[in-house]
Amino acid sequence: MPLLIKDYTWTQTESMIYITVPLKEARAGKVDILSADEYLKVSAPPFLFEAFLSAPVDDSKSAAKIGDGEIVFTLHKREGAIWEHLVLQNVEKENLQNIRQNAILKAQENALKEAEAKAAKKKANEKYALETIMKIEEDQRKKIEEIKEVERRRAAEELERWKEKQRIEAEHKVAQQKLERQKLEAEKRNTNGVKDLPKSDTQTGTKTAQSKKPLVVSLPPPRSAGTIQINFTPRVFPTALRESLVPEEEEWLKKQADAGKALNNDLSELKDLTEEEKNPEWLKEKGNKLFASQNYLAAVNAYNLAIKLNSKLPSLFLNRAACHLKLRNLHKAIEDSSRALELLTPPVPDNSESRVKAHIRRGTAFCELELYVEGLQDYDAALKINPHNKTVAADAEKIRQVIQGTVPSS
Amino acid sequence: MSVSLDKPQIISHIQKSLNYTVFDTKWIPCSAKFVCMGNFARGTGVIQVYEVQQGEVLLIKEIEKSKPIKCGTFGFTSLQQRYLATGDFGGGLNVWNLETPDVPVYSVNAHKEIINAIDGVGGLGIGDGAPEIVTGSRDGTVKVWDPRQKESPVANMEPAEGEAKRDCWTVAFGHAFNEQDRCVCAGYDNGDIKLFDLRNMSLRWETNIKNGVCCVEFDRKDISMNKLVATSLEGKFHVFDMRTQHPSKGFASVSEKAHKSTVWQVRHLPQNRDIFITAGGSGSLNLWKYEYPVQRSKKDADNIDMGVAGLVGLLQNVTLSTQPISSLDWSPDKQGLCVCSAFDQTVRVLIVTKLNRV
Repeated sequence: MPLLIKDYTWTQTESMIYITVPLKEARAGKVDILSADEYLKVSAPPFLFEAFLSAPVDDSKSAAKIGDGEIVFTLHKREGAIWEHLVLQNVEKENLQNIRQNAILKAQENALKEAEAKAAKKKANEKYALETIMKIEEDQRKKIEEIKEVERRRAAEELERWKEKQRIEAEHKVAQQKLERQKLEAEKRNTNGVKDLPKSDTQTGTKTAQSKKPLVVSLPPPRSAGTIQINFTPRVFPTALRESLVPEEEEWLKKQADAGKALNNDLSELKDLTEEEKNPEWLKEKGNKLFASQNYLAAVNAYNLAIKLNSKLPSLFLNRAACHLKLRNLHKAIEDSSRALELLTPPVPDNSESRVKAHIRRGTAFCELELYVEGLQDYDAALKINPHNKTVAADAEKIRQVIQGTVPSS
Repeated sequence: MSVSLDKPQIISHIQKSLNYTVFDTKWIPCSAKFVCMGNFARGTGVIQVYEVQQGEVLLIKEIEKSKPIKCGTFGFTSLQQRYLATGDFGGGLNVWNLETPDVPVYSVNAHKEIINAIDGVGGLGIGDGAPEIVTGSRDGTVKVWDPRQKESPVANMEPAEGEAKRDCWTVAFGHAFNEQDRCVCAGYDNGDIKLFDLRNMSLRWETNIKNGVCCVEFDRKDISMNKLVATSLEGKFHVFDMRTQHPSKGFASVSEKAHKSTVWQVRHLPQNRDIFITAGGSGSLNLWKYEYPVQRSKKDADNIDMGVAGLVGLLQNVTLSTQPISSLDWSPDKQGLCVCSAFDQTVRVLIVTKLNRV
C-alpha cells in the first residue's frame, strides 16, 4: 500500500493554483506524474499523492517543477474563480474511481496524439531535408553539365577555326602556284630579262617556286623477298585462347586422354577374340558400318563389346543409342543417351555437336514413349547449344503443339 | 569540381548513324575528311568518304565493291596521292585512288581467307624507306607488300610445314627509323605476339600473353622501337618497353585490366607518344598516360641488361555505346580530334580536350 501524502500546501489567485507537495526521500528521476483536467496524481514509490480537483484546470497550460524535495504545481484555472477547497469534498468512492479512470484514459489519448503529431512532424522534416538535398545535387549536376557544354562549344569552335585556317592556307597555295606559273610563262617570253614582273616576286613566291619542283626523292628499291617460318604456341581447340576458360578446357582434355587409355583387358571372354576385335575404335567403325547397312542388332553387339573394353568413350554410347532408337528399344536408347551426356561434361564448344546429337536422340525416344514434356526439354537443350539447326527447331515446334493439343499426335 | 575538369575531357562532337556494319574508319591525311569501310547487309563492301562541317558530317562519296571490306590504311602513300589500301573478306588487298575508285591502283589476292588487319609505313612524309603494306589474315600468314612489286609479297611469315595455323588478328609496323630497318609485330588468337625483323628476315622476339591478341601498336612507327601496346581478350592490355631486350626474358612489360570486356583497339596520340586510348567491348573508351620509370634498364643477376617497365595511369574514361567500339583513329593534323566506329552502326567524331596540359 502506498503511503498517501497528506501534508501538501496550496495557494491560489483568480486564475492560478499553486500546490506544493513535499517529496520525502524520493528522487526527481523516480517521480511519475499523471495529470488531467480534473485529477492530479503523483506517484513516487512508496509515496502517493492524489487530488480530485474541485474545478477543472487547463492541463496543457499547467506545469510542474520537481526539485529540492518537493514538487510545485502551477495550474491554470479554466474559470477564474476562487476555490473553497482544493479537492472535491464528500464524493463517493465510485465517482472517485470514474474520475480516476477518465483521467487515465485522457492521459493516454493525449500521449497517443502527441506521439502521432511528433511522428508526422518528423516525417515532414525528413521530406523537407530530402527535397533540399535533391535540389542541391540537381544544381551541382546542372553546373557540371553547363561547364561541359561550354567546353564542347569551345572545342567545336576551335575545330571550325582550324578548318578555316586550313582552307585559307590551301587557297593561298593555289594562288601562289598560279602566280608562279604566270611568272614562268613571263620569263619564257622575256628571255632578255627586262624585269617587268609583278612585285609579288620578291616575296616568298620565288623561293616556293624552287621548292615546288617535284621533289625527286629516290625511294629505295623493293625489298628482296624473304620468308620466315614460324611456330605457334600449341593449342588444341580452334577457338581463341581465353584465360578464364583454360581450366575447363584442361578438364575436358584430361577426360579424353583418360578415356583413350582405359582399356579393360582382363575379361575372360576376350580370350577368343582376334587382335582387331579388342580395339574399341575398330569395333566402333564396325558398328557404324553395320548401322549404315541397317543391321541394327549386329551393330548393337559391336558397340556392346566396345563398351566392355572401354566404358569411357561417349561416342560409343551415342551410337548405341541411335541403334536402340531404330530397334524401338526406347528405354535403352534413353539410358545410353544419358550415359553419353554424362561423359560429355564439362561442356566445351568442342563437344557441342555430340551433345546436340545426344539430346536429339533422347528427345526422340521420349516422344516415341509419349513423354512429350521430357522430349521437349531435350529438344530445347539441343536448340540452346545450336540455335541454327532448323530441323531441331521445327521438331520442337511440333512437340509443343502436340502438348498443347492443337495437333493430334501422330 | 574545378579540379576534376582539369583532366582531359572526351566530348562526343558528332554522331552519325549508318545503314551498314562499319569495321574501320581512318582520317584522310591533311584534311577534315575521313573514310568509313564496312559491308552492306546485301553482302557487298562499301567505302564512304565524309567531311566534318560545322557540327555535322556530310557524305561526300560512296563507293561500293563486291567483297566486304574489313580494314584499311593510308600509312604507305605520299601526301599528294593519298591512296587507301584495303583488305577485304575474301583475302584481297587493293589500293584505291579515292578520286577514281573504279579500278584499283594495285590489286593482289593476298590471302586465302579474310584479311583481319592491315598497316602501312613509309608514306605521309613520315620516316624514310620504301612504302610497304603488311596484312595479317585468318590463314595464319603475315605478308608484307610493296605497291611497286606485283603479285608477290616482299616478306612472308607463314607457319612451318605441317604446323596447325592460328588466326592472325592484328599487325603493326615499327622500328622504321632509317631506310633499311623495319619491324613487323603480329598478334594471334592463341595469345602469341611475334616480332619480325625485316632487315634480317628473322623472328626477333615472341611471347604469349595467355589471351587472344586483339590489337598491337608501336607508339611511333618511325623511331627506334620505344613502346609496344598489346590488347587482348578478357579486358587486359600490356605495355612493353622495347628499348632493352633481354636474351631470355625478352622485353619488360606492365599490364592493366580495363573495360571488363575485350579491349578491341589501342591507338597512340600522334602528337604525344605517351598518351594512348583503348576501346573496349562494352562501348567504353579509356585515355591512358604512360609514365617512364626512373631508370629504364637495370642489370639482372648475371649482369645482363634488362628493361624496367613504367606505370600506366588512367586520365579519363567515357562510355559512348553499348556495342564494342571496333575502330578508332586520331587525326594527325588536329590534336585531340578522333573518329571512332562501333558495331551499333554509328560513327562518332570525338574531341579530347586539354591534351596539351597533360
